[in-house]
Amino acid sequence: MARIALLVLLLALLASAPLWIGSGYALSVLVLCNLWAVFAISWDFMSGQTGRENFGHGMFIGTGAYTAALLNLHTVVSPAACLPIAGVAAAAVAVVIGLPTLRLKGPYFALATLAAAAILQRFTIIFWEQMGGEEGLSGLSSLVSSPVGFYYASLAFLVLATGALVTLAASPWGILLRGIRGDEVACDAAGISTTRHKIGALVVSAFVAGVGGAMYAFFQLQAGPYLLGVNTSLSVIIMSYVGGIGTVYGAIGGAFLLTGLGEGLRRFGEYRLLFNSVFLIFIVFFLPRGLFAPLWQRLRRRAETA
Amino acid sequence: MLEILLYGAVTSAVYALLAIGFTLVFGVARVLNLAHGSFYALGAYLTFAFGTRLGLPLFAAGPCAVIAVAGFGVVVERVFVRPLRRSPLAVLLITLAVALLVEQGLFLVFGSEVRNVPAFVAANVSIAHVDLGGQRVLAFVVSLALLAALRTFLLGTRNGAAILAVAQDPEGAQSVGIDPNRTFSLVMALSAGLAAAAGVLVSPFLTVQPTMGLLPMIKAFSIVILGGLGSIPGTLLAALALGYSETAVAYLTSGSYTELVSLVAILLTLVLRPSGFLGARAAM
Repeated sequence: MARIALLVLLLALLASAPLWIGSGYALSVLVLCNLWAVFAISWDFMSGQTGRENFGHGMFIGTGAYTAALLNLHTVVSPAACLPIAGVAAAAVAVVIGLPTLRLKGPYFALATLAAAAILQRFTIIFWEQMGGEEGLSGLSSLVSSPVGFYYASLAFLVLATGALVTLAASPWGILLRGIRGDEVACDAAGISTTRHKIGALVVSAFVAGVGGAMYAFFQLQAGPYLLGVNTSLSVIIMSYVGGIGTVYGAIGGAFLLTGLGEGLRRFGEYRLLFNSVFLIFIVFFLPRGLFAPLWQRLRRRAETA
Repeated sequence: MLEILLYGAVTSAVYALLAIGFTLVFGVARVLNLAHGSFYALGAYLTFAFGTRLGLPLFAAGPCAVIAVAGFGVVVERVFVRPLRRSPLAVLLITLAVALLVEQGLFLVFGSEVRNVPAFVAANVSIAHVDLGGQRVLAFVVSLALLAALRTFLLGTRNGAAILAVAQDPEGAQSVGIDPNRTFSLVMALSAGLAAAAGVLVSPFLTVQPTMGLLPMIKAFSIVILGGLGSIPGTLLAALALGYSETAVAYLTSGSYTELVSLVAILLTLVLRPSGFLGARAAM
């Protein structure tokens, strides 16, 4: 009961946020929180369930953002229609990266995704005439004209994506994915094509991240190479790690905490990035199971014993 | 043609220096050190700091930088990697955090602008009418010397034998009295020192800036994938292959396409032969 009450309270707080914080800077921070939460849960769906760590999630976010920006600047496709197309583009990248690397055991996937994201980022510089180089692509038209409207769009997307991914993770398919994390050899022996399921999970993850990246581009009205960078990918991993890897919903807490802290520390300028890595070191050493998911689970246990 | 041959040799030698530490650390400790590129960047920056800021002669600043970075490698292993070795994800995250910490540290201390390290050798060397520059010749010669020294160390000393033994069979090595932690520290020192040496040697003809570590990390990684994770001969072979193909691509097309060579190399290897040229362990 306590958990349902808390969930309703949180949703009510988020839904009424424009009423009590207005439509200014604070609301735009909340939009960023929503979008980063989408990135983090999509990462956790693939990497948290199957135990294959993706170190280049930025490539899906960036692919989504650049696809949306290119479509918006050069075609008449409406911004809303750009979102699913961006998701499909990111999913296509996932197939290209996943096919050669997810067959392999060991650390290949983590390294290959890290390298692929870095090289995609170089692409935006090499093909600067089409991709805008360091500056990125700017001058996008907006998805929803009012800030409050955009906030609700991002919140609706976050709720929808969380619902879908949590349901998928709880489905038989989700159990199978966690089986791969637990013992891949046993899954193989049971006649399950683990590679196909891992690629499937990566495609789902990339699709959600791609749509989120497109929304991010429409929010910032531009798509920049930093989205493909190591810092983006690492931020997503840190958020999931803080939230509690493998739970999907925990990542939302991590995303809100870190995005909020990041904005709060903005006046410290360059030291903000330093803070990110120190924070990561701290979490890895002292909270290996994360912060939010263990709290949530304690609430559930208390509810069950009561 | 001759230009490709000569420049390719220099690039390959530096790549070998860069990648061999990465593969050694993986072979001995099964650890993928994402902070490897920051050792390279630190080598270049410390040469700049010792040479230009403290006024040491460059031939002293370079070795000092290498030794300092080797010490830093041991610190990274002791403080960050060793307590977390049971969890591969934690190790990847912590080494990546160290890499970013170094990058941001360099950014705060030295600023984002490009730094110039003067050439160690001012002389202009031409081989068969190809203008090579003394620094490139020096980089080539020193890289080969360091690789030869590494070979002698691994094959001719007890510590070297311990490293090879742990790489072959960690439990077996432990049962004959080799301390795996001490060996790992030693390998991290070697690996960091060699990467730093690569950074020192190329700093005069490449741009020195805080983010310079990422690309070499990716190069080291592609070479190691191409040669086979953990295989030293494979790494050398792959360093030659990548060094020459990049130089050739740089000459035949515009320079910006060279980055793609390593991507194509990684993807082709993973599709056609995942264990690399000489990877001992099956990757499938």
